[in-house]
Amino acid sequence: MSLQSALEQLAAHRIKNTRASQDVFRNGLLVLQKKGLKKLGDDGKSFHYTCQNVTHKLLRLPAGWTFLEQLTLASIDVGRLDIADQCLQLIADKFPNSPRVDCLTGIRIEATESPETALKYYAEILEADSANAGIWKRRISVLRRTGKVEKAVNELVQFLDTFYTDVEGWLELADIYASCNQYEHSLQALTHVLLLTPQNPFYMLQAAETAYTAEDFPLAIKMFLTVVDMTDGDDSEQLLQESTPLGITVRAWFGVKLCARRIAQNTNMKSPSNTSLPKKVELLDELATERLRVAYSSSGQKGEIAKGRQEVFAWVAAPLA
Amino acid sequence: MIGKLFLTLATLALLHAAYSTYEHLSLLKALGKPEGSLPLDIVYESVLALILGLLGASLNAPPLKDITWASEMKKRTIDGMDSRLGFAQYKSRGKLLFANPHGDKE
Repeated sequence: MSLQSALEQLAAHRIKNTRASQDVFRNGLLVLQKKGLKKLGDDGKSFHYTCQNVTHKLLRLPAGWTFLEQLTLASIDVGRLDIADQCLQLIADKFPNSPRVDCLTGIRIEATESPETALKYYAEILEADSANAGIWKRRISVLRRTGKVEKAVNELVQFLDTFYTDVEGWLELADIYASCNQYEHSLQALTHVLLLTPQNPFYMLQAAETAYTAEDFPLAIKMFLTVVDMTDGDDSEQLLQESTPLGITVRAWFGVKLCARRIAQNTNMKSPSNTSLPKKVELLDELATERLRVAYSSSGQKGEIAKGRQEVFAWVAAPLA
Repeated sequence: MIGKLFLTLATLALLHAAYSTYEHLSLLKALGKPEGSLPLDIVYESVLALILGLLGASLNAPPLKDITWASEMKKRTIDGMDSRLGFAQYKSRGKLLFANPHGDKE
């Protein structure tokens, strides 16, 4: 595996915000070592010294510092605190009074010390600057982890009053409510997410599934169909052919089928959000059945059959009411 | 490949035309003649360099990406969208799961 591919994978993880700590750690370590080997020469210098040499060369890259931050977080996640400490030391030396470095130091403290120590550290920083979003988020995260969920929710609501456009915060609020089985509140938080990111089908899918769990089936079916529209909607050149649903579109069709079943069982249900019922539930059900059959019959690589096809076919063939 | 070749040729042609102009002007200065218009072949060389450069830059461009949101969203995953890295919890079982079984670091 080459240096180039390692750097590309690291950049991809940064863009997509995935938390693939093992992968990042492996690639990051490779980047450190590869650059270090150039300076290593014949005498076997210690790993610590190579890291120093490496980062001096590396940090002329514009992405060098974000890479170090990424590697620090991944090392803490994987448990290799020695490398995390080295990277953190380098970053802290270069950027002495930065709030981002304070967050990283706080995360490092969280990983080894007791939660009270971490909370005290965050309280000190928040006293000096009470609008430090990163530190506030870490504080809320520690409160949630130690089980003080109500306090975490109160702080998070205060945080979101201050920073309304923070999508992460609303998602975290929705997650906390969902973990306490308060799905209506979770749905309310998700509506704010939908306002802030209207083009994102993943959040619409999450909202649809939360609505389904909160037993608001007309709203859920509408949202599932919106997800299908968002992800599969503009296949204008494929109108004449069959287009196979892929990815979260399949999940959305499953959702449509589930909601259609529930609505057909109870044709005059009241929706808590006063959403109107769809007029032709049977047709929607037929459409969802057909789309799921197409999704699971398309041959994948080497013509193999999609996993779970038999179960899906048996399930969609069951009658409606 | 061809794009890079064209770009290199265009750069060389332009540098050559520039050097020829400099030589021509210094020749005129040495002979004491007033500055007339540039000789036509230098002009042709520069225009050729321009055309070659345009072609080379267009061919050398990176592959085009889709502009619709839907096509970008097709490449993302639920895990990436739901990661909430600002709130992520770093006290996990990672230390125990991924540690070297013999305890030595590296």
